[in-house]
Amino acid sequence: MSRIWVIATNTFREAVRDRILNSILFFAVLLLGLSLALRELSIGDTDKVVRGVALGGVSMLAAIVALFLGVSLVYKEIERRTIYTLAAKPIARWQLLLGKYLGIWLTLAAEVALLFAFYVIIVSPQQGLPGVPVLVSALMLMVELSLLSAWAMLFSTFASPVTATAYSLCIYVIGHFADDLHLFGERAEPGPFKTTALALYRVLPNLESFNLRTEAVHGVAVPVSELCWSAAYGFGYTAAVLAVAMLVFTKRDFK
Amino acid sequence: MSSVAAIRTEGLGKTYLSGFLRRPFVGLSDLTLSVPEGITFGFVGPNGAGKTTTIKMLMGLQAPTAGNAWLFGTPIADPASRAAVGFMPERPYFYEHLTAWEFLEFYARLSGVPSHERQGRITALLERVELARFRNVALRKFSKGMLQRAGIAQALVGDPRLVVLDEPMSGLDPLGRVLVRDLILDERKSGRTVFFSSHILSDVEQLSDRVAIVVGGRLREEGTIDALVGSAVLSVDLTFTGSAELAGAELLRADELGRTVRLPPAEVDAACRAILAAGGSIVAVHRNVRSLEQVLLTEVERARVVNEKQLGVLA
Repeated sequence: MSRIWVIATNTFREAVRDRILNSILFFAVLLLGLSLALRELSIGDTDKVVRGVALGGVSMLAAIVALFLGVSLVYKEIERRTIYTLAAKPIARWQLLLGKYLGIWLTLAAEVALLFAFYVIIVSPQQGLPGVPVLVSALMLMVELSLLSAWAMLFSTFASPVTATAYSLCIYVIGHFADDLHLFGERAEPGPFKTTALALYRVLPNLESFNLRTEAVHGVAVPVSELCWSAAYGFGYTAAVLAVAMLVFTKRDFK
Repeated sequence: MSSVAAIRTEGLGKTYLSGFLRRPFVGLSDLTLSVPEGITFGFVGPNGAGKTTTIKMLMGLQAPTAGNAWLFGTPIADPASRAAVGFMPERPYFYEHLTAWEFLEFYARLSGVPSHERQGRITALLERVELARFRNVALRKFSKGMLQRAGIAQALVGDPRLVVLDEPMSGLDPLGRVLVRDLILDERKSGRTVFFSSHILSDVEQLSDRVAIVVGGRLREEGTIDALVGSAVLSVDLTFTGSAELAGAELLRADELGRTVRLPPAEVDAACRAILAAGGSIVAVHRNVRSLEQVLLTEVERARVVNEKQLGVLA
């Protein structure tokens, strides 16, 4: 376990010193600030518009960071051949990958905590301290990012960053339209389209399960049982994706 | 010193499948080798001979497609086999975001060095590879030679029983080469097993207790330097002054020191008498023995002939 932790902390250090990641974070904070301006430009319940744009922006940029880290950090080890000295240590490949994943997870957790802290700092003076639903939506966002980064990491164990990013984006988009995919499958005429749509729905993740932004914007509480079920689904799915990634990584030759 | 070999391979082989049609390409074939503990072992061969493939399999970076290998008696498929091994790959690239100190600390922790020993060991190693004053400089600012030295420090930081270095002299300037050579000599004196590949054969001759030559993915020769190159004198270079004419001698050069000729060893006595009789004097005598380079070139040529014959049979 200690070697996994050593790799995780090094990965975390590598990520937080990355200029690209810091630039994305800067834009996220900028977006939070700009969301306040919408108050002046919108009509109706302007506070909800600000909350919706701010939380939506944070989620989207956090997802970009998750994809960026998941796709790049393992690939960089292989591309820059730092993997040679790392894999030559008395550590199993699955431990190495788990260490990298934990490092990414720590970075994402720090990022989400930081962004929501900025959200509180920026939005509170106008709307008061955010309620529990906002905190719950942040925690569920973290479950989504865990799953998304695991997929990105799986792709990066065998594909180039461009291909892995494309695959991961597909997962992200399809994952957020999973309910529509299900509806399409249900309503389609029996045949290959119906079979494919329903198969994809069952195999690919339903990322909308973790989207509690609407509830956060409107201040609606979500039943605890539903939250637990979504979290168990998210972490269970993440573990399964990581297991496949470890299998691929263990079989891989470093040329 | 234990009786278990530091490295042992039996019929080790690697065949790559390349291209869309998955054509097989043999990177290494049937390597059987034993490296006893406590010696410095040179692994030589031309580019593409299979040196790096062998090292990558031993270090768990590639899986063999044939045969078996053990490090200190533990099969290489088990990560524990590398518990007492330090490794520096060819043309090392390291984490650019780390400083030299953070870099060595990372590998010390990965190698399981206890926290109370870490600081002292890293300080000593940084001094040994002459990087002490760059301890807080990020690796992205290091030159190639400095990275190579940091790489060797990384390989030694876990105080391993076996150090594996893939082309440690590659791309270094003369000063860097001397430093790395001295480091290997120090390790040799301290009784650590060093296994290194190189195509700088003068270094291999100087540093190794035993040498293995691989050509075309196959082991061609293995033994001590003396056993491989032999001690027989092939010819003698004689530099002399005066007007003596030496029949059968090959003139190498004529300069302000005199003429230098190459003679068969049996003719040296007669040549010296002739030079002195003609009123000249002998300035220098140099014996030519078989070098590792000649052994390697012979093996490369032999492999080429065998290859051509096989192709001829196939045609």
